[in-house]
Amino acid sequence: MATVTDSADSVSSQFLGHIIGKPVHVKLHSGMLYSGTLESIDGFMNVALSSTTEHYENKENGLLHRYQSDVFLRGTQVLYISEV
Amino acid sequence: MSETPLNLLKLNLDERVYVKLRGARSMAGTLQAFDSHCNIVLSDAVETRYELVDGELRSTERPSEMVFVRGDSVTLVTTPEDE
Repeated sequence: MATVTDSADSVSSQFLGHIIGKPVHVKLHSGMLYSGTLESIDGFMNVALSSTTEHYENKENGLLHRYQSDVFLRGTQVLYISEV
Repeated sequence: MSETPLNLLKLNLDERVYVKLRGARSMAGTLQAFDSHCNIVLSDAVETRYELVDGELRSTERPSEMVFVRGDSVTLVTTPEDE
């Protein structure tokens, strides 16, 4: 029988594998929201995004910046990653 | 998955990078080295600090020849667009 942690592990890693190459939102502890295409992610929740836009809290608050090249976000700063 | 986010950072070695830090600071410089904690060594670096003075955004810059940035204050790394 799968334990709670086993199933949580597989569901979360399935999710992370499933969203590679998809548009995602990444929220940091600071409240900054990064919207872009998920290029890669590792077990520390370090994230690489392409075609990234920067917003505060949500996209309705307006565009702060549009990054021309890939953006690396440090895993410890990540609050959540969500599929758009 | 071999192309981890940290592997992608390797492509920026010896290139100019823009590093966003905690506490309304950023650092731009040439990426000399980094590790898995995101400790980062930059050469020809410029630290920028942003503050609100009477509701007006003001930035102050501080250049340094070589700087070691402790990983825990790093939030974002990308390439600069306006240098």
